[in-house]
Amino acid sequence: MEKASHLSVILDLSPTQWHLSAQSSNQYPLSIHSFLSQLLAFLNAHIASKHENTLAVFGAFPGKSVMLYSSTDPVADDVPPADANSYSSFKVVDFTIVRSIMNEFDALGNLDEEPPCALVGALTKALCCKSISAHFHSPNAVEDPAVLPDPRILILSVSPDLSTSYIPIMNSIFSAQKLKVTIDVCKVYGPDAVFLQQAAHLTGGSYIFLERRDALLQYLTMSFLSPPALRQVLAVPKQDKIDFRAACFCHKNIVDVGFVCSVCLSSNHILFYVVKLWFTYMCTVFCQPVPVCSTCR
Amino acid sequence: MPSQRDGNYMNVDSDSDISLLGDGDGDYHLRGKNKGKGKAVDKKKKDKGKSKAKDQAYTWEASYTRSWDTVQEDEAGSLQGAVEDWIARGRRRRLLAPAAAIRRTIIRHLILLLDLSTSMMDRDMRPTRFDLTLEYAREFITEWFDQNPLGQIGVVGMRAGIGERIGEMSGNPQDVLKSIADRHRLEPTGEPSLQNAVDMARSSMSHLPTHSSREILVIFGSLTTCDPGNIHDTLDACVKNKIRISVVALAAEMKICRELCDKTGGQFGVALNEGHFKDLLFELVPPPAQRAMTRAAGSGATNPAADLMMMGFPTRLPDTSPASLCVCHSEMKSEGFLCPRCMAKVCDVPTDCDICGLMIVSSPHLARSYHHLFPVKPYDAIGSLADTPDAGLACHACARIFPTTALTSTSTEGMSPLNRYRCPECHNDFCGDCDVFVHDVVHCCPGCGK
Amino acid sequence: MPSLTTQSETLTPESIPHTLLPFLQSQSQNTLTRLYQRPSSCFSIFRLTGPLERQIIMNLLWLESAIPIATMSAWVIREGKKLYDAALTTLANLHILPQSNVKLALNPTFKASFRQAITGGGNSSSFGVPAEKDDKRSTNTVETLDAYALERWETILHYMVSSGQGSLPTKPSQGVLYLLQRSGLMTQNHGSALQITSAGFQFLLHTPHDQLWDLLLQYLHMAEERQMDLVEVLSFLFMLSTMDLGREYSTEGLSETQKAMLEDLRDYGLVWQRKATSKRFSPTRLATTLTSSCPPLPTSTGTSGGPQSQGFIVLETNYRIYAYTDKPLQTAVLNLFITMKYRFPNLVVGMLTRESVKKALSNGISAEQIISYLTTHAHPQMRKNNPLLPVTVQDQIRLWELERNRLKSEEGYLYKDFGSHADYEYVLNYAKQLDVVLWENTSRRCFFGSLDGHTNIRGFIERRTNGAV
Repeated sequence: MEKASHLSVILDLSPTQWHLSAQSSNQYPLSIHSFLSQLLAFLNAHIASKHENTLAVFGAFPGKSVMLYSSTDPVADDVPPADANSYSSFKVVDFTIVRSIMNEFDALGNLDEEPPCALVGALTKALCCKSISAHFHSPNAVEDPAVLPDPRILILSVSPDLSTSYIPIMNSIFSAQKLKVTIDVCKVYGPDAVFLQQAAHLTGGSYIFLERRDALLQYLTMSFLSPPALRQVLAVPKQDKIDFRAACFCHKNIVDVGFVCSVCLSSNHILFYVVKLWFTYMCTVFCQPVPVCSTCR
Repeated sequence: MPSQRDGNYMNVDSDSDISLLGDGDGDYHLRGKNKGKGKAVDKKKKDKGKSKAKDQAYTWEASYTRSWDTVQEDEAGSLQGAVEDWIARGRRRRLLAPAAAIRRTIIRHLILLLDLSTSMMDRDMRPTRFDLTLEYAREFITEWFDQNPLGQIGVVGMRAGIGERIGEMSGNPQDVLKSIADRHRLEPTGEPSLQNAVDMARSSMSHLPTHSSREILVIFGSLTTCDPGNIHDTLDACVKNKIRISVVALAAEMKICRELCDKTGGQFGVALNEGHFKDLLFELVPPPAQRAMTRAAGSGATNPAADLMMMGFPTRLPDTSPASLCVCHSEMKSEGFLCPRCMAKVCDVPTDCDICGLMIVSSPHLARSYHHLFPVKPYDAIGSLADTPDAGLACHACARIFPTTALTSTSTEGMSPLNRYRCPECHNDFCGDCDVFVHDVVHCCPGCGK
Repeated sequence: MPSLTTQSETLTPESIPHTLLPFLQSQSQNTLTRLYQRPSSCFSIFRLTGPLERQIIMNLLWLESAIPIATMSAWVIREGKKLYDAALTTLANLHILPQSNVKLALNPTFKASFRQAITGGGNSSSFGVPAEKDDKRSTNTVETLDAYALERWETILHYMVSSGQGSLPTKPSQGVLYLLQRSGLMTQNHGSALQITSAGFQFLLHTPHDQLWDLLLQYLHMAEERQMDLVEVLSFLFMLSTMDLGREYSTEGLSETQKAMLEDLRDYGLVWQRKATSKRFSPTRLATTLTSSCPPLPTSTGTSGGPQSQGFIVLETNYRIYAYTDKPLQTAVLNLFITMKYRFPNLVVGMLTRESVKKALSNGISAEQIISYLTTHAHPQMRKNNPLLPVTVQDQIRLWELERNRLKSEEGYLYKDFGSHADYEYVLNYAKQLDVVLWENTSRRCFFGSLDGHTNIRGFIERRTNGAV
């Protein structure tokens, strides 16, 4: 029996980045409106694929993460009544997502400085969501594990990497790996995100950098609509190069060569200390490692 | 005996989860259910003589337990509520226990050598030696990865006179468990060959960096070994390669096994029964105390800065990149990892770069243990909403609505009658399930993102 | 390699197409194109196709121009080529993706309607017109609808089961009886009461979802004979499948054919109506889950999410069966192949015996069907076992079936009295090449060939004798 699949979508909704993305100086400007309309078509396609498919949508706003929609929640009362021309679930999904996003944007108000997007919060919420964490909560429950849908997470990212969130992001990735959740990443705008590349690589998902941003919907359907079982037949593009760089603990910079403290490793606490050096190996020769490990002293 | 002093202390053998409940402060190091006795024996002097494992190592030594006495029915005569409450309390208790102090090395590599000869079908251990070994091996692997996040395990079988690679060296517990999951693929046949298997294990660890420990753990049920050459040569090679061999024998002591262990610095033990077998196995989970002591002593004396190890984080090349020669095997390959310092291509990580000698690890390997560094703060159980009337209606993580009235009439420590647990940092409320999930699996608070 | 086996396991289901698809494929292009004019029909047919077909449709849906066939197939890995080709053939037969050697593009009608289905809008009203809120009467709850559908459906099944045992339960309506008879599930002997056939016994062991589609397929065949417009019948079914459970819909906008269908579907339990003349109707769970391929049809076991929806049968290695059920229907179905021992309010105990299984086999039920029934309805406790059913019992059931197949009869010709051994060998070799030899005996120089090989062999012998002369 073909299994149903659960899709959790995480939207990076940083107003600044979306404003930049819509600038006409880009080769393919993409405004949030056209992004949302293409995204909704994709979400509808996911629901259409199978009656039992479930969906949850999370938004990462500046400094805040919100669950925008979950198909397991009861339908809100103020959803406009079904009409004869559209499938009723589509209407509920589209309406709920757009309304919650608008509410959140209104609540943001005018900020002088935009705090970084709470991508980690959204990711952890997606993992806590019952459709995914059920595997953890009831590993030997009477119900057949085959009944639970195959979970996967799709991250649509526009913001650059946030090196301060390196540890929580990695922790979330490992828990996703443990729960056998595939993480797909679509980089809609901005430079390549090192951490998200690692996320996709470690969980067996695909990382796609959107080149032709006017063809967002086609990218989404071709690469991310198929459930993991089907990807054994279809060559879903994977990323080409994966950066395995880490963030150091002292300056939160992303480094490719670092120092790891072995003192704390053999002492009573398990501590690592990655010292940031300079980016090129030329400098590592000259740079003095700090005299005292600041984590374990 | 603590049991006489403590009213609700339960005399069950430490395989049972129940022992986590109701007892006091003495055995706080028993966090999980499996790493009980072996380690405790090591530490019993520190544990003020209260170690339960020491007091009653085996089931038959324990006094008779009346497990039904600890269960109380509710008014309707149902046990459902009591059981649920019990489970929830056990989970909370585990969270509140302080993190255990366990010594770890950075990178351990272990090859698990399983005897798959016909002698493993003996039924002196129930159900058979073979089935018991598989079962304990699974538990061992889970526990091992929990305590050695940077470690890697490979599995080799001894069957029909040859060494057989069952699982490749992998840092993912799922991969390793999967390799021994299929019982029928491992069906024991023929004679074991210690030499062949040890040689195979040795060759698969030859590329490993010098910092890492290389270990072989043999689970040996046979009393013979059928070798093509002189096994003492193999032993010498192992000594030279600094490979530590430990043997858990299921039948009786053999001279060669004892020698393998003694010369390489490993441990040797003969399992007396099922319980002892498990003890012997789990003693090998934490890195050997001897070594950790010397390192700790040495580092205390010398400059700590000298103990900072330089590591490089490579870039992985895709399968589609143009093929080139790798520096480790000189083979044409398209995939591989680029050393960040000299841009040489190596086949696999972790390893030492053959050109510049930089130790190359993939950062996810390192990051796997960060959650021990920065654990999520325990959440506070909320007793009433009197102080914070504007608290959220639904769990901040899974968006399930909280109950408005108390579930249980009496509030026990650590348990919230409202099923609300609040993060001390971001002051968001979470439900009991998510609380456990966040602390056990995600290691990252959904509210504050830390 | 475990990875390979899991791969093949996950891929096999894709080769089992939905029962309705062959029927659709047999329809003319004209019919299908008319069907594709309605977004809801496109939507439901899309759901009925396999996962790979769905992905192909979605890939092509938003493309304005045709895409070269090579570009598309570059996207499939080598091992999946067979599945991919099969998927393309299916889509071509459905006239969704016209066969072409150069470029691929969706049928324009399908594309337009399906786009409309995904994005909403248009004014086709194909997803059903919701009825106005009626203040006088409250709408039906999901529970009452479920109970209604269950009652209707089990009446039909129960009638079938008990017809074999001579008892007389409540009769379903005349239309249902006619349909059962037409589909060959029941038959009437010399004016006596209807009797269940071997096809009917097999039908009983299917999952409710398959049973439903079996009957609906028969209904479609019948509709053709009754001069009903097939497009309207199908699109009405598809419309029902996209509707919301627990919502009332208006009969406005339905054609005469569809209004007539409403009556039939009411008998089957797919639709609920207050009275026959009512202007509103609500689909039941049977209807709304038509296009979902998963078994959760809670109607088959009563309340949704109850312990029974998981399964209720415990089978032990000693051939004993414990069935935790209070449903007479399930008891009756079990009675087809087990010997009942005891009955309690919520438990039935029985034995799988040689006699009981042979009785079932003689009714036309196959061993595989018994095993699959026991598997699908296994109690959650049984799911912990691996394999699920005790191997001994499974094997024994198959052995009992083999006992019936010890003799196999075949028509054919015996060739004997060959002049020489060389002659015999020569003809025998020829016959072996044709692969028509069923039996041979060299010492007596004779062999037995099947019926369809006879003309060839006779010709061969004649040619040989003529040539020799």
